[in-house]
Amino acid sequence: MLFIELFIQGLIQGSTYAIIAVGLTLIYGLLRVLHVAHAGLFTLAAYLGVTVTNQFGSLSLGIVVATLTSGIVGVVIYRLVYEPILNKPPYVALIASIGLYIAMEELFRLIFGPFGLSFSSAPLQNVVVIFGIHLRACQIITVITNVVLLGILAWIAQKTRVGIGWRATVDDPEMSASFGIDPIRVRYLVFFVGSALAAVAGVLVALLTNLVEPTMGAVPSYKSLAIIVLGGLGNVFGTLIASLALGVIEAFGTIYIGDFLDRDAIAFAFLVVVLMIKPTGLFKSR
Amino acid sequence: MKKMMLIATLCFVVAGLGTGWADDTIKIGLHVPLTGFAASDGKSSTFGAELAVKQINEAGGVLDKKLELVIYDDQANPSQSIPVANKLIGQDRVVVGVSGSYSGPTRSAAGVFQEAQIPYLSAYAIHPDITRAGNYVFRTSFLGEVQGRAGAKLIGEIMDKKRVIMITLKNDFGKSLAAGFKEKAADFGITIVNEYEYSMKDRQFGAIVAKVKADNPEAIYASGYYFTAGPLISELRASGVNAPVIGQEGYDGSKFIEIAGKAAEGVIITTSLDRDSKVPETANYIAEFEKLAGYPADMVSASVHTAVKIAAQAMENAKSTDPVKIRDAISRISMKASTGTIEFNALGEVQKNVQNQIVRDGKWHHHSVIDDPELLAPPEK
Repeated sequence: MLFIELFIQGLIQGSTYAIIAVGLTLIYGLLRVLHVAHAGLFTLAAYLGVTVTNQFGSLSLGIVVATLTSGIVGVVIYRLVYEPILNKPPYVALIASIGLYIAMEELFRLIFGPFGLSFSSAPLQNVVVIFGIHLRACQIITVITNVVLLGILAWIAQKTRVGIGWRATVDDPEMSASFGIDPIRVRYLVFFVGSALAAVAGVLVALLTNLVEPTMGAVPSYKSLAIIVLGGLGNVFGTLIASLALGVIEAFGTIYIGDFLDRDAIAFAFLVVVLMIKPTGLFKSR
Repeated sequence: MKKMMLIATLCFVVAGLGTGWADDTIKIGLHVPLTGFAASDGKSSTFGAELAVKQINEAGGVLDKKLELVIYDDQANPSQSIPVANKLIGQDRVVVGVSGSYSGPTRSAAGVFQEAQIPYLSAYAIHPDITRAGNYVFRTSFLGEVQGRAGAKLIGEIMDKKRVIMITLKNDFGKSLAAGFKEKAADFGITIVNEYEYSMKDRQFGAIVAKVKADNPEAIYASGYYFTAGPLISELRASGVNAPVIGQEGYDGSKFIEIAGKAAEGVIITTSLDRDSKVPETANYIAEFEKLAGYPADMVSASVHTAVKIAAQAMENAKSTDPVKIRDAISRISMKASTGTIEFNALGEVQKNVQNQIVRDGKWHHHSVIDDPELLAPPEK
């Protein structure tokens, strides 16, 4: 029973990792940029979600505002920060991204204050008991959202014209451009979708913890980097599996090896072990 | 080289001007975390200090001069507090230093103040080594170990719960609380069934909560701050764990109740601020703080308020701003402050009663007091 419960808790945690990390891996797959500021958009969305929900009493409105705003800010970040330095070595974009993330963290503190925000009456906290396991509605919704969103993403990538154009641009930008696909529009689209996904994760985590802080992106910012390396850089399916696996390993690790290995260290220990056995990550990178 | 000389000269001139201006005020230095994860405690600390200075100045100041606060951000980071301490001593020429920060930065700043022989008061940092920096360093709150021992008495004797699970925050705060709790647990008949540790960055506790549920304890002794304890207790209650949770001063404040909502009801903490106190110093502080800050008083702000008041009183008693005389006056002080009566032992530690507070109807209220002098005795060396 305890094992099942730990496994489920791991899946819930892993689902939040997956939704954040997928956007990151999409961006890496397309532009080879390690977008650390992605976690800043996750935080931004959490703040917007809580503020709008508290103001207007509607969580749905909060989610819509949070995802749209973060999506647009993601595109703006690409346009203003990454586009001018794309032809520079990769570490230039990485440094810019880290700087941007720190600036965002401090900006949240200036705007929203250092204390963190909470829902005035947290939605989706009702408890459902399934076979003796108590789960909050928001925990169940986190897992479902993860499955549905990544399912839709896979369907778009495989079956639609937009998705085919996007995959073609990832594989061979010059060739796809010569077939009339606008690479700039593909980049805007990927930043919008990736950032909107981070936004969904931000609102979900806000619901799970009922606490939004300026620093809440710090752990996802580096853990999602570990996850996308594990999953094979740029590989969406690999990222999903790596996220869920990490969530479950952390859940068991916290209980059984937590005395000598920190939960956050487990991600990197796992990363080291996998890379020693399989240097390309669990799955082939794109 | 010429340029260097010029800069050096300029520095001396500016430094000279600095001290020249300082003559009509008496400066107290304060380092607090204004940015980083602990920024909220830094803000409360600042309000606490500002309230103390405002009250002192309105009552005529100290030695017929106004008090002036010099505040710097230490980011709750030990490597930041050393340059900050040097700046307070060398550039601002403060006569007393106050830490409104956590143990790490306070430990490293304490050494700097000791070396410069400037009196230094740690308001709420709990690490035992802080006062061991030397005879210029004092602490106005209890040590983590002392509060941990009080927690054991609260659970084992006052609440009469014997099968206890510990959930420990893996930093010096959580570790020293846990050490004190374990030291006295057996004396109060407590069996520690299991102990789980978590890190400062954790906000989701699904795995620990699942295991605690399986352990089915009579009580849970969980160390942490409001930002970890809020989510933890929400998850415990949502998963059907109804055993009482006992926390400490890290929970203290209204933010914990805001995060945990209904789950906060019935949570008991060991702290140094009694919300229902009839003692004028405390009651007045609670009212005045909310007026100034716009939110209810917490332990952190009260502790810094106490430390600044002690510093001012010591200068009055010494009739001087000479650091040696202030130090001697602090060591002999006996004064009532918002967090209780302050008297220091040879090591610079205080002995005060532990105030147990409980959440009822969304507010902190008096639960019980622990006044066992032997249990609460701080170390002498």
